[in-house]
Amino acid sequence: MSSLGYLAAVNVVIWVGLFAYLWRLDRRLTEKERAR
Amino acid sequence: MKALKLMLLPYMGAVIAAAFLWPEAAKGFIGESSRIVFFHVPCAWTSTLAFVVAAGYSLAYLVRRNPWHDDIAAAAVRIGLLFGVLTLVTGSLFANIMWGSWWNWDPRESSYLLLVFLYAAYLFLRSAVEDPERRPRIAAAYALFAAVLMPFLTFVAPRITASLHPQTVINPQGKILMDTPTRAVFFGALAGFSGLFLWMLSLEARTARLGRERRNSPAV
Repeated sequence: MSSLGYLAAVNVVIWVGLFAYLWRLDRRLTEKERAR
Repeated sequence: MKALKLMLLPYMGAVIAAAFLWPEAAKGFIGESSRIVFFHVPCAWTSTLAFVVAAGYSLAYLVRRNPWHDDIAAAAVRIGLLFGVLTLVTGSLFANIMWGSWWNWDPRESSYLLLVFLYAAYLFLRSAVEDPERRPRIAAAYALFAAVLMPFLTFVAPRITASLHPQTVINPQGKILMDTPTRAVFFGALAGFSGLFLWMLSLEARTARLGRERRNSPAV
């Protein structure tokens, strides 16, 4: 794999991790808002 | 809304991959350093957008005194600062490759650093005012003051003297000097970062609202 391909893969993995974190936070917030 | 958020996953994934793999590196730059434009400029755009949103909601708070508007304004400043710092970091990475130093006191670097300090002061001000009635009012007034200075620091001050910074998208010729793949990825990244900002703003403001309501509710 070229170095640019490697960088692209690493950055996409970081993005997927950030997305998963935000998605989980969103779900937890929705649950707390419903419980109010 | 849920579908839009879900769409952001493949959309941003594709934009990030394309930023490295689709357009050719721009001529006149060392190695692949020009690819920073797909991250650095969207970060700067997002922080500016966040500060404009903060000004809008601060004005709305001063008019209507709705605490939800204050929550959104404060959340927008926090996220704007995050993207502002990312702008400085990505700019510094580029500066080290192109100009041989992480920091050069270039007019654009310096004015942007001042902008970050200006909005960091907003957070210090919020934490310094203990009275929950006065805090949102003073913070909103400061956010409006900062918004008046922002265009000078972002658009005017860096153009007064010669700069090492590459020509910006808003240039004297009024033309976007990019080939088609670069332009597609660049504007795709601007749209993606804007979507990400709106999502993060909603999460941050909703978290602030839950915290405020918990503090205001009588203890059990």
